[in-house]
Formats: sequence, structure tokens, C-alpha cells
Amino acid sequence: MSSYIARRLLWAVLTLLAVTFFTFLVFFALSPDPAVAICGQTCTPDRIATIQHQLGIDQPFLVQFGTFLKGIFAGRTYGEGASAIACQAPCIGHSFQNGEDVLTMIFGRLPVSVTLAVGAAVIWLVFGISLGLVSALKSETGWDRASMVVALAGVALPNYFLALVLQYVLVVKLQVLPFPSSVGFTEDPGLWFQSYLMPWIVLAFLYVALYARLTRTNVLDTLNENFMRTARAKGLPGSLILRRHALRPSLTPLVTLFGMDIATLLGGALITETVFGLNGVGKLAFDAVATNDQPVIMGVTLFAAFFVVIANIVVDLLYRFLDPRLRTVTR
Amino acid sequence: MTQVRHPDEPAQTDGAPLLEVSNLSISFDTREGSSTVVDDISFRIDRHKTLGVVGESGSGKSMTSLAIMGLLPKGARTTGSVLFKGEELLGRSEKWLRKIRGDQIAMIFQDPLSSLNPYYTVGLQIEEAYLAHRGGGRKNARTVAIDAMRRVRITDAERRVDDYPHQFSGGMRQRIMIAMALTCEPDLIIADEPTTALDVTVQAQILELISMLQAETGAGMLFITHDLAVVSQVADAVHVLQNGQTMEAGPTEQIFSRPQDPYTRRLLAAVPRIDEVVDVPRPVFGGVQ
Repeated sequence: MSSYIARRLLWAVLTLLAVTFFTFLVFFALSPDPAVAICGQTCTPDRIATIQHQLGIDQPFLVQFGTFLKGIFAGRTYGEGASAIACQAPCIGHSFQNGEDVLTMIFGRLPVSVTLAVGAAVIWLVFGISLGLVSALKSETGWDRASMVVALAGVALPNYFLALVLQYVLVVKLQVLPFPSSVGFTEDPGLWFQSYLMPWIVLAFLYVALYARLTRTNVLDTLNENFMRTARAKGLPGSLILRRHALRPSLTPLVTLFGMDIATLLGGALITETVFGLNGVGKLAFDAVATNDQPVIMGVTLFAAFFVVIANIVVDLLYRFLDPRLRTVTR
Repeated sequence: MTQVRHPDEPAQTDGAPLLEVSNLSISFDTREGSSTVVDDISFRIDRHKTLGVVGESGSGKSMTSLAIMGLLPKGARTTGSVLFKGEELLGRSEKWLRKIRGDQIAMIFQDPLSSLNPYYTVGLQIEEAYLAHRGGGRKNARTVAIDAMRRVRITDAERRVDDYPHQFSGGMRQRIMIAMALTCEPDLIIADEPTTALDVTVQAQILELISMLQAETGAGMLFITHDLAVVSQVADAVHVLQNGQTMEAGPTEQIFSRPQDPYTRRLLAAVPRIDEVVDVPRPVFGGVQ
């Protein structure tokens, strides 16, 4: 088991290195000169050259990449002399527009994204799995059709549209909820809950749909398995058959999906955060794109990739715990 | 002294045949109309006796066994009568049938790998069969499970009770299925093609094991197979089915030595013999009327 984990971690490091390399390459090759963006309207070629030197982007690609990697493990300094800017390890960039290290900016926004992702995940897991179960157990009935209509609506409705409709109805017309804001839990738990409720619902709606459909399919498949017939032939009570024999095989595949979804969202729920004006990692990326703040865009990209790679390892380990067949295969 | 029995509890009647199936028909409603898969079949099974039901795929063998267990798929319609120890099984509630299933009538299925839940240890799957009917706590059930595994000759049962189905070979998995079926000492065992997924040597071991355990417990057995060689080894009587209808029924010796029905004769002729010189094509089934 420990050798398996070590192997997986090694692969994770290599994957992150590859992701870092390609992300760096894309920004090096494709994006407009950030020095020009920083320089502003009254700019001279000398000034641009100075900024390029300060950013280190006047160096060859591999030198730049090496400096970037060194910054992650040992920190780095932008520029020289009195105007030098130190970026502590792990340094994944410095935003000259904001005068802050990228990681500091991301960590400042992370609590909002985590709150949004975890709250939405609770909603989509509870409702998605429940709807899927009802749909499968009452298949071909009104319950099934009603559940699948909700699921279809979730897939079909863009979440920015749903966000606007909910805001209009719940905030403007009925005035039952305040307009969402990034209130901390410790500041005012009641307002915190009310502020996040709408973003949670909007973000969860799409996932509820996906999870309900997947749960339905998995449960229906499992109910047709031969071992379900065996369980009934043993005279087990229906509730035990469902709980023990149907749910575990049906829900295990959801673990993979859930791991990936939550990891992606921790890297920022761009649309939901932007629509509701929540200052999360997604909104940070959106603003950085709007102002061409390249170190931030690259930093958020790497940060999101980091979550996905870590989630992959967690999911794989969890899967080995949940599905005994995998334990022997890789023994 | 008169024994008072709860109305939900199946009766324990002695003297009557263990299982008596009379005029059993099973049909399904399809878009093209009603489709009859078992048509008016009748047989009986006594204690210590084995009835072999033979026929090709789609002849209604498995449907018959599922009807006895009350495990037919949704939408199936049954008529006729299935008396088990004098009690009618058809039309009974799920709750009532649950008390019979696994306890007084147990089933051994064809494919032991897919018939065992891959997510749970074989021990737990044997234990739950026992606990459902006898109760008494996990610890006791575990001892019962280990004993059952020893009985079907699984070596090192104390350790292997915590193994998962995929860690066993095909033959071992079928032994687990048999152990599970016999945990509650059932009066009737329904074996639905129990040796079909196994290779020939393992097949012989499993047949020997089933026969031995049946002799020990005195259970009656409904042995479903398409393999005439197998049925000749285990059955006291044979019931030949084709397209859901009885073609011929009688003692095994009579069916094999003096088959009356042309279909039975063709079935027998299709079995290769080691001392036979083949100069004519064997009968081809499927579409043969």
C-alpha cells in the first residue's frame, strides 16, 4: 500500500511539473507582452525594456521556466537593487498590477471558493442522490418522470440565467434573501448562511442534475445484477438489500466524479462567483483576464491543476478502500 | 397437543410431497400480446429425491424455478398451483415468501462470480443468510459461516471467510454459493445450472458435493440443467421441457433408456459418446419443432 502511495505521489509530482511546463509555455508563446500592459498609455520602449527586465521576461524561455520553478521551491526576487521585489517560497508569481504575490491573493480568496464549493456539494449530494434513488426505485412512474424533468432542467438551464432569475425573485421581488456578499461565518453566521444560500443553490443545480441521472442509471444497473437476485433468494429484507447490496455498488462510481468536481470548484467557480460578485478564486481569475494580469491567470491555472491532481490521488486511494477488487489487482 | 401457528408463518406439514407443482403457467404481457414462457407444467419432488429439469435455452427451466421462489420479474403472470409442504406459494405476499426463501427453499445459481456481491466478503454473505432467518448475533453467524465453508470443503476456512469473491476460483465460488444455500438446512434446494460455468473436473467435484450434502440433509432437489450427462448422474426423475411445455417426464432410467418423445430422443442423440463413430451430422436445435 505504501509503495502504491509513493508511486502515485511521484506521478503526481511529474504531472504537476508537466502542467507547469505547458502552462508556462502557453503564456510565454501566446499571451501579449505583460510589460506593455503594466507600462500604461504613456510608455517608451526604454520603460518597456526595464519592466521586461524586472519581470525577467527578457530571458530565454528555459531560463524563465527554471527561475519560475526555483521560485516555487526557494522563492525569487523580481528586479534588482532598491526596486527589487521579493516573493517568498512557494512563489508562483507576483502581480505587478496589484503589488501582491499571486499565492497570497489566491489564499485571500480561497475561503470564499471553499465555502461555495462545500456548501453546494452538500446540496447536490443530498438532492442528487435522493432524486436518483427515487427515480430508480420508482422507475417508469410519475416520480421517475418528475425527478428526471428536474434533472433535465438542471442540465439545460445555464447557471447565470438561473442566478439572475433567483436574484430577481428572492432578492428583489420577495426580499427573503439579502444580495450575496462574502460575509465571514464568524462575523454573522445567519447573514453568512443567507448570503451563500442562493449561490449554493445555483451552483448545485447543475450538479444535482448530473448526480441524479448517474445515480438513477447506476441503481437500475445494480438492481439487475445477479447478486441482487441472490440477496432476495436468501430471504433478506428489502431495506437491507437496498442499503447493503444496491447502494454501495451504485454510489461508488460517484466518488470519482465527486472528487473531480469538488477539485475543479476549489480552483474557482468562475461564473457563479462572478454573477454573484463573490470574491473567490474564480472571480480573481475573471478579473485577471479582464486586466491581462498574467501572473495571476497562470497562478490560478496552476493552483486549479494542483487541486485536480491531488483529488485524483485521493479518489484513487478511496476507490481502493471502497472496491475490494482493486486492492488485489495492484497488490 | 395442538400447535398454534402465527398466520404469517409457513406451515410445517409432514406426509404431503415436499413440492407439488400443478398446471403451472407463466406469461408476460408484451407489445405483441401475451407471451407464455411456461405452459401448463406439473411435477412433484419428495424429500431425498432429485428432479432434473432439462431443456435448451428459453425452454422455461429457470422461469419455473423463479416462480417457485416468487422471484419472477415484474409483469409476470402465473396460474396453476405450487404447493410446498402443503402450502400454496403462488400469490403469497413478499413478506411471507421472505420467510421461506433461503430458509426452507434455497437456491444455487449458475454464475457464482456474478451471483456473489463483489463488495462484501464471502463470510458476510453467508452470515447474512443465516442471520435473516435465525438471528443470534454476528459472532455466532460467523462461526456458522466458517462451519458451512468447511462443510463444502474449503480449506483454511477461518482465514478465507474474510476473503472477497474475486479471490476464489470458479469452483470455490460455487462451493461458497452452496455453503450459503445450505446454511439454514433447507428442505428444498433449487440448483439452477450450478455446474454450467465450471470446467469438467470441477463440475464433477461440485456434483459429488451437492449429492453428498443432499444425502446428509435429506433435502429434496430441483436440478435445472441443459446437460443430459449431468442430469443422468444426479436425478431420480427427469422432466424434459421445450418452449415452456413438458415433452416427457419419468424416472431417469426410463427417460435415458426408453425415451418416448422425439424431442427427448433428439436431445439424447445430440450427446456425444466416447465409443461412437460419427458418420452423420448431429441434430441441430433451435427452430426444431
